[in-house]
Amino acid sequence: MSSALSPTIDRRAGIAKVLFGSPILGPLAALLMASIFFAIMSPRFLSGPNFSLILQQVMVVGVLAIGQTLVIITTGIDLSNGMVMALSGVLMASFAAQKGLNPVLAVALGLLVAVGFGLLNGALVTGVGLPAFIVTLGTMNIAYALTRIYTTSTVTGLPKSLTFLGDTFYLGGTAIAWGTVLMVVLYAITWFALRYTAAGRSVFAVGDNIEAARLSGINTKRVLMGVYAFAGLAYGIAALLLVARTGVGDPQAGQNSNLDSITAVVLGGTSLFGGRGSIVGTLIGALIVGVFRNGLQLMGVESTYQVLVTGILVIAAVSVDQLTHRK
Amino acid sequence: MSDQTASAPLLEMRGIGKSFPGVKALAGVNLRVRSGQVHALLGENGAGKSTLIKILSGAYTRDEGEIFVDGAKVDIRNPGDAERLGISTIYQEFNLAPNMTVAENIFLGHLPTKLGKVDWAQARQRARELLDSLNVSLPVDAITGRLSVAQQQMVEIAKALNRNTRILVMDEPSAVLSEQDIEQLFAVVRRLQAAGIGIIYISHRLKEIFEVADEVTVLKDGSYIDTRKVSEVNLDDLVRMMIGRDLADVYPKRSGTPGEVVLEVSQLAQAHLVKDVSFTVRAGEIIGFAGITGSGRTEVARVLFGADRATVGEMHLFGKPYRPRSPRDAIDRGVALVTEDRKRQGLLLKLQVFFNVTVAGLNRLTKLGLLQLGQEKALVAKWIENLRIKTPSPEFMVVNMSGGNQQKVVLARWLSLGIKVFILDEPTRGIDVGSKSEIYQIMADLADQGVAIIMISSELPEVLGMSDRVLVMRDGRIAADLGRSEATEERVMHYAVGRLDSV
Repeated sequence: MSSALSPTIDRRAGIAKVLFGSPILGPLAALLMASIFFAIMSPRFLSGPNFSLILQQVMVVGVLAIGQTLVIITTGIDLSNGMVMALSGVLMASFAAQKGLNPVLAVALGLLVAVGFGLLNGALVTGVGLPAFIVTLGTMNIAYALTRIYTTSTVTGLPKSLTFLGDTFYLGGTAIAWGTVLMVVLYAITWFALRYTAAGRSVFAVGDNIEAARLSGINTKRVLMGVYAFAGLAYGIAALLLVARTGVGDPQAGQNSNLDSITAVVLGGTSLFGGRGSIVGTLIGALIVGVFRNGLQLMGVESTYQVLVTGILVIAAVSVDQLTHRK
Repeated sequence: MSDQTASAPLLEMRGIGKSFPGVKALAGVNLRVRSGQVHALLGENGAGKSTLIKILSGAYTRDEGEIFVDGAKVDIRNPGDAERLGISTIYQEFNLAPNMTVAENIFLGHLPTKLGKVDWAQARQRARELLDSLNVSLPVDAITGRLSVAQQQMVEIAKALNRNTRILVMDEPSAVLSEQDIEQLFAVVRRLQAAGIGIIYISHRLKEIFEVADEVTVLKDGSYIDTRKVSEVNLDDLVRMMIGRDLADVYPKRSGTPGEVVLEVSQLAQAHLVKDVSFTVRAGEIIGFAGITGSGRTEVARVLFGADRATVGEMHLFGKPYRPRSPRDAIDRGVALVTEDRKRQGLLLKLQVFFNVTVAGLNRLTKLGLLQLGQEKALVAKWIENLRIKTPSPEFMVVNMSGGNQQKVVLARWLSLGIKVFILDEPTRGIDVGSKSEIYQIMADLADQGVAIIMISSELPEVLGMSDRVLVMRDGRIAADLGRSEATEERVMHYAVGRLDSV
């Protein structure tokens, strides 16, 4: 009823409004509260080196979650990202370390494979019309199997040029990894594209109502293909970060990364029903998980309990979101 | 039918008031329904009908006033209270489980059991009896989601009857139905009436009120206007009560003569739905497409807009071959479609007004790959003002707007592109009288500016009031092409249902 509406107008004011109608105030408040809590509980929490460490701990999942966010905004979900990352990472490492390929070409090959998986996901979703859950459940297993077929042993002896993103530079006495800078840059680019380009708008339109979007002149198949391909690229970059951070190509990597990336997206306030979401929220979501794990660790809490807390966090965050958006 | 003796009315709502934070939605509203009476509830969108109904059905609680059932004061605090009092509501969007059978839906949550097991034989038997009592033939084992909208509505009614409903609220039951289905609905309503059920009937189609209702209560801006016997009022009285002015100015007068041929369609066919359809539309002309639901009108519109592909046939736009492969092609050539189903095919409901307005024209707002947000803001502000869209801000989510305002958002999307051919499929469906006349005025203004307009409508008065020419479709073909002076309600109807082959 139109008459009953006016009170809700200014709910999204200020900074959230700047971030393209995104409900990030909640996640931001949660991140701040968690930080304050851990700062009180542990004197070591509030320090440059510790923050730098948290960023390094979240950078791989953080970059995976960029792709996941776009897929989820279009009402999809991507279960394959961790396995695609593992495959891409193993190929990069192996071709550079064992096959003697120029590291740049090895990275390009890894990225290409990841984008290829993205395109495959996209083609199956748009062409055959399968649900994204099914498609990516399938490609997750395919990517896992291909990795194991290629190698079951960890690839070591990587050239320096493949792991430089794990190296650090000093900023005011704090060592910062190049990889975390790359992550922040990727978030900035994605945020900018979602807000300032027609393609970015189309992603939200497709997520809200694909048929209405098509009848508004949007090429919905192209948008979905673009989203999955872009997501694939993000997974490839995440693979490069993983290789840089661990210094090896690990065929066992990424087994929980799909759910970890979904956790970050959901904590960041993006709706699993599509059409509503925020890339900045996802970064905050990834940081929330990172801050909790790091803080609990500093307090000497066992890692199993860290997982327990993450589970509770997800349910709490989505409950709050649901209750505030219920009419 | 109703005894007007001393016995108390079935339902009486007295002095009902309801406020939402900062807004008075209802104040001092009265409603009296007797057993066996059909009581129409009228008012524009935003007049307070839905709020009143939600109070009655327990979705909202009232702030002021009293409710009596059978003369006894009652308190309705939740939907369960309403159900216990025998109050059921059938909303426009049905409350059915699409993958369950008719019988399962009728008994949803109330399945008869025998020794702890569901007694399916009894459930099916009683479902059949209920449908029989409505004189509706429906297989009780059919999957509900595969039934037509009209049939699903009957399932809803049977479901209400199964819950011993004494007061049935029907929220725009005819809005989703075709002409014949409406006849059947009325027959069912009369049966319910004969069974002593009191019916509250909400509709935007004023003519129906005279066919089906005994009394009518009118609301305006959350206030009670009056309750009258239907036999003592006419259409003009009702409109005046609802909007405070006369019906005479609902259809705008137009003087301009049509210009050059803009769109030429010849021998168009698509699947089994459209056969050999040919017609032309001139600049500044409004063509009305009449016909029953399923006669192929919407399919023609979708082909013109590139949403579906034609199997055969040729189209020319401004003399040049026109064969749109996608809506984008059509839009780029200046053709736009306002879809029949605003919520499913037109709007991005959970997105903002500005987003919905500019979504089809983002390419024009892009410079060097970047959206010009300032330019967009100005464009949106201009169209909000031009079409008098009521919205607290351009960032408002369209799902929270009234039907009339939502439709204006759709219109703004296309008008802001400066289109040449405008196809409107049921442009005023589910829209209040006030917004309707505004939409008619917009269409008339566009025609005066030389836009060629194709309007599909199931409301005959609208077709006859707006169109320069009326094309009547039947079974995928054009059954008649009538000039403004030849088109009468009777003639159009006869061609539409095929009872008249030669006139």
